[in-house]
Amino acid sequence: MAVEYKTLHPQKYYNYYLANNIRPDGREFDKYRPIVLNVNSVETADGSAICKIGQTTVICGIKAEFCRPKAETPNEGFIVPNLELPPLCSPKFKPGPPSDQAQVLSQLIADIIKNSNCVDLKDLCLHPDKLAWCLFIDFICLDFDGAIIDACIIALMGALKTVTLPTVDYDAALDNKLVNIEERHPLKIYSTPVSTTYIIFDDKYILTDPTVEEENLCSGLVTIVLNADEVCCVHKPGGTALNEGQLFDCIQKSKKRSKYINELIVSAVKALN
Amino acid sequence: MEKGELQCKFGILSRPDGSVMLSEGNTTVIAGIYGPVEVKMQKVLIEKAAVECHYRPKSGLPGVEDRFYESIIRNICETALAASMFPRSAISVVIQEMQNSGELISCAINAACLACLDSGIDMKCMFAAVSCFLGENNQLSLVPPVNRKEIKATFVFVFDNICGKIIASHTDGKFSESLYEEALYICMNESKNIFSFFKKSLFEREEKGKKK
Repeated sequence: MAVEYKTLHPQKYYNYYLANNIRPDGREFDKYRPIVLNVNSVETADGSAICKIGQTTVICGIKAEFCRPKAETPNEGFIVPNLELPPLCSPKFKPGPPSDQAQVLSQLIADIIKNSNCVDLKDLCLHPDKLAWCLFIDFICLDFDGAIIDACIIALMGALKTVTLPTVDYDAALDNKLVNIEERHPLKIYSTPVSTTYIIFDDKYILTDPTVEEENLCSGLVTIVLNADEVCCVHKPGGTALNEGQLFDCIQKSKKRSKYINELIVSAVKALN
Repeated sequence: MEKGELQCKFGILSRPDGSVMLSEGNTTVIAGIYGPVEVKMQKVLIEKAAVECHYRPKSGLPGVEDRFYESIIRNICETALAASMFPRSAISVVIQEMQNSGELISCAINAACLACLDSGIDMKCMFAAVSCFLGENNQLSLVPPVNRKEIKATFVFVFDNICGKIIASHTDGKFSESLYEEALYICMNESKNIFSFFKKSLFEREEKGKKK
């Protein structure tokens, strides 16, 4: 009976649960789903990680390629993140060119990388105006079950912390480069941004770490990215209006989680060595 | 902390249902709105109008960053427009960037609101966006610094006019929580001036209409 009711009146079905301060999956409003992080999962990539938050699964691979720095920024390399939402991960997506949602999320990830300064682009330069690394960071979503950006950022940090780049001897006069694949050095990571997503349900409940069902029914979404003690992104793209108290409350809640996820990433990377 | 002067001109285009050219300081955009109009088969929603937004940069084709702005503007319009009054139709908001000196997103959002008001489409509330900039000396300012490199962080807040709550928030750069709070209150105060500007411009538009 409950199943039929859920299909016919999903909003009401949720409201009955939420009125009793519990979510249909048994979580309280501010509880997270379990997180699994596996680093260096793809042997052929320069750095990689798989992150699972509940059922949401994202795999992240980083490939480094040579490129020439831009004339305006001769001593900086590039970071190019790209999120793919294939039709396999959700019935919402169709094959073909990247959907609007995939483009918007890719841009949000690029903004988070830039704002948090987790990688210094100057570290990626090998010779000013001649040679630099371009890190292609590809995310593929395998299972789309809500809070995708949170999973992407955890996978991103796991992957970035396992990136090793080969040593390169570059002779600028002859434009000759010698790549030593055996001798690899890790990339320096300056900070660990952590993202937390909240949804506003029925204009009054704020739920943490939503599933895709909750996201589809929600009236607003807030993503907060913290970087140690600093805030590096408060992204609320429209939806139900919040008052400032509710917004600050979300930032406070994210703080605790930020510490926990930092430890998770550190222990996952440590287990590798 | 004086904000750049706001100037607007309604009905500059004849084809859209509502159009406006808005300048905030040295940033200018043109916004036009068509709606409710016929909707594409794949986008049709049976219970409400599909709101779409097209953002055109000053030169070249729209890129990934412009898609990001589009999605923010679309979401805000979706919240403010009474879309459920026009099921199985579309409302399309088109924004053309003319000149950008920093506060482009907030100017585009404000122009979208004025265009909606100009078209007379049903709305649940008005919305106003305010940009705030964190300069090199850790001072918050509503006017963008001339040199872009001096900007440490940018905050854009969108408020509704009924309860003054936050509809949208977009930030760029790193900052402490207290600065975020401070920026929010500065923008909240400034949004009142923008709403009164909206009101004043609409009255002026009415006056002009009567003379004709």
